[in-house]
Amino acid sequence: MKDLLLQSLSALIGLSGGLAVGSGFVAFITVLDLIPRLAQIAGTRRTASFEAAVVAGVLFFTMADFWQAEFGFFIASASAVGLFCGVFVGMLAAALTEVLNVFPILAKRLGLHGFIHWLLMAMVLGKIAGSLFDWLVFQQWKE
Amino acid sequence: MSDRAPTVYIRLRKRVKRSRSEPILLKHVAQIIVDPPWEEKLRNLELARPQKKDGNYVLIDMMQIVGKLKQIMPHATIEHFGEPHTIVELQTQARPANVMLLVLVWILLFVGSGMAIMNFHTDVSMPLVHQKLYRMITGIRDEHPLVLQIPYSLGIGAGMILFFNRLFRKKFNEEPNPLEVEMFMYEESVHQYVVTDEYEKMQKQDGQRLDESRRDRP
Repeated sequence: MKDLLLQSLSALIGLSGGLAVGSGFVAFITVLDLIPRLAQIAGTRRTASFEAAVVAGVLFFTMADFWQAEFGFFIASASAVGLFCGVFVGMLAAALTEVLNVFPILAKRLGLHGFIHWLLMAMVLGKIAGSLFDWLVFQQWKE
Repeated sequence: MSDRAPTVYIRLRKRVKRSRSEPILLKHVAQIIVDPPWEEKLRNLELARPQKKDGNYVLIDMMQIVGKLKQIMPHATIEHFGEPHTIVELQTQARPANVMLLVLVWILLFVGSGMAIMNFHTDVSMPLVHQKLYRMITGIRDEHPLVLQIPYSLGIGAGMILFFNRLFRKKFNEEPNPLEVEMFMYEESVHQYVVTDEYEKMQKQDGQRLDESRRDRP
């Protein structure tokens, strides 16, 4: 009886925790306007399916993670997944820079109006280089 | 008689860029329609002369224009559309962009964003996530799943470019990219600030003038 009570209590805590984290995640994605942007690139106005994709992805990977699923695919498939992860993180990073108004301020204050795409490339290349350095050099030092 | 009471139609532009050395004329800040005999005179009506103390922006207010118009055409009816004021951005000689500065900012952004992404990876325990993900997909334990991590790194760049739409620059698509929207929004906010600020300055000047005239009276 006591067990059942404790278990339903932890189920309740888990449910409310999940609700909080889930709504936080959606809020984060919404603030960054990621889905409208992707819809614009894909040339569609129906974002409902994209939202469904986000929810499905969150659900699937949460469960796969908690149940420690192992699919045993061939190694190269990890590259494809890695690429998708990277594109997503890249879009997050780009959206964050946009929210923070970095480029207009740089352009206006320093009179670099015509060179915005150069500066953009600096950020892009910096992110790639930083990330590669992280995995290839920095993480290997730690041992 | 239409000659005695002509109608002047005025539409103010939202913002214009003018050189600092020339006076600001009505034709610079507004579109006007008026009977031909008046037209040239009105178009070249001087509204303000930019001075050193004016800073970067001068606000031309509709009330100011009405005041000046009434001096030369006391009986005119003025019909006004659009914005109640124009922001004149005073330009000094446009300096060519400094190459050294550009290089410096470039390096700043390059190194800074590189460090930021490393910080982010540490922040969210990305190495652990990659190890888990790699094990989930392939079933192999690997401390450094580079097969996943190198495409991931390249993907970050691709994602940023995708977001800012530099990859496929379809210009027949009228929809602006986020950077363009952002630049526009930023300028809009700056101008909104300038309008409020300039009006406040005007009010202060008027207040001072009022105080002085009160002091003059015994």
